[in-house]
Order: sequence, then C-alpha cells, then structure tokens
Amino acid sequence: MKNLHLYHIPIAYMLVYVIAILVSGVWLFLLSQGLSGSDMLETFIRVANLPEPKSLHNFIEVAAPHMFAMGTLLFVIAHFMLFSTRISHKFSLRISYALFVSALFNISAYLFISFGLFVSGWIKLFSMGLFVLVLVFMLGLVAFSL
Amino acid sequence: MKFLVTKDLAHTTLLVNLMAGVVFSLFFYLALDIVLHAYVVGLDVTTLSTTLYGNTEEFIEPILIDTLLLQVHIDLFMSLFTIMIVASIYIRLHSTKVMTKWLVHILFILGLLSPILLLVAYFTSAGFVYVWLVSFILGHCLGMLMSLLILKRLLFK
Repeated sequence: MKNLHLYHIPIAYMLVYVIAILVSGVWLFLLSQGLSGSDMLETFIRVANLPEPKSLHNFIEVAAPHMFAMGTLLFVIAHFMLFSTRISHKFSLRISYALFVSALFNISAYLFISFGLFVSGWIKLFSMGLFVLVLVFMLGLVAFSL
Repeated sequence: MKFLVTKDLAHTTLLVNLMAGVVFSLFFYLALDIVLHAYVVGLDVTTLSTTLYGNTEEFIEPILIDTLLLQVHIDLFMSLFTIMIVASIYIRLHSTKVMTKWLVHILFILGLLSPILLLVAYFTSAGFVYVWLVSFILGHCLGMLMSLLILKRLLFK
C-alpha cells in the first residue's frame, strides 16, 4: 500500500497521549492520597505508611472503568508490535503478558489494602511503579519500531 | 488498525459499511462532546472563568483540582481513541493528498493541547481560557469535518 509511512503519525502521537494519560493518572492517585503543593515525596511516604482507607464501593468505582480503559489501551499499544520488523514477536509477546499482568496487579492492589490483607501501602506503590516501568518500556519498543 | 491497511476496499463492502458506521458514531460523539463540555465547564469565557476560579460575589467555589484533573484524564483517553480512529481511516482514504499529513498533525496537536490548556488555565491566568476555547472548538470541528470527508468518500464515490 502506498504512503504507509503516514500511519507513523498517529502511532507517534499515541505515545505522547499515553504518557499524558499516565502522568494525569498518577497525579490523580496522589491527589486522592492527600497530595497538596509540591510535597510529592511526603505523599509517597504517607501512602507507604498509612494509605487512605477505601471502601469496596470506592474501589469498584475506580477499578471498573480502569479494567476497560487499560485493557483496550494496552491492546492498542501492544498490537502495533505486530508491525515491528526490529523486535521479535516472541519478545513482544512476553512484554505484552507482563504489561497486562502488571496492569491487573496495579488495579487490584488497593483491594488487598481495603480487605486488611496489607496494612502498608507499599504494595500499591510497588504495583504502580512496576506498571509504569513496563508500560514505558513497551512505549519505547513501539517508538523504536517506528 | 492492521485490517485498515491490508484489506482492499473495492472488494469489501462490509468493511466500507463498518468504517462508515464507526465514523458516523464518532461524528455525533464529537458534536455531543462539545455540548457535554458546555454543561460541565462552560463554553463561554464568563462561565469558564466562574467554573475555574469561582465567583466571590455569587458565592460560587472554584472547581476542585481532583474533579478537573479527572475530566482531563478522561478527555485525553477519549480524544486518543476518537482521533486515532478518524485519522487512521482518513489516511486510508486520502493518502495521496498533500493536506492529509498536515490535517492529521493539527488534529492530534489540538486534541492533546485542549485538555492540557484547561489545566494550565486553572493554575495560571484567565488568558489561557481563550486559548483553550479556540483549541477545543477547532479540534472538534476539524474532527467532524474529517469525519464528513470520510463519509463522503465512502458513501458517495
């Protein structure tokens, strides 16, 4: 097909949009944990020591749209690896699995805190950090493949 | 997006109708999104300023940053999907035109700028309210125009 290179434009912009969605999502999470001003480190410590209590209702209110949104978004990002000639499909498959598993872990992490399985919020911080790392790595792979 | 690249439209009436269907829906989504934003934040400078900064004379509190950021977060997600679909189909049908590349660039930039400008306006000055208003309306109108051009090519060729 002629002018296939034009499709690089939406893919490149998608990477920027996903970064913006990621930043606003992390910011929203920190705001829900009492972030005020620029005391980000203090908020992280507060989450680790004593996360804000959340009911099952609050959890589902956040988890339900994220299950749909993250699932579709990750599918769209990961499926661009099908076009890649620089990265093997086997490696792309492994990263895609890691991406979906870390997303599911990140969404459900607060459930463990809500049910009292974990008193500390480190599990939420760990799952969020892991998801962000894997997602940024995947975005890097897509950018490298362009 | 892969099917958009590989299937030949001349022999696939089902794909033509599917593409027309999704673009038709997105055209109305873009129109209704303008109306939705008119209700949520306002679409004139006075209402927007009241929403973002409050009004002491009428005892109206400014919008909470949590609420505004949630709106921006959702707007970014919805814009990404809408613009990706419209742009991909537009490229598929108008790939030989020189303007295509620039229209796609402008659409993506406006779609990304408008949610960010709303946050910038909240934290800085009312001057950015004008910039947000222009970028939001222009972005949506451009998306709707590109949708109409796609439908014209698909249904009236």
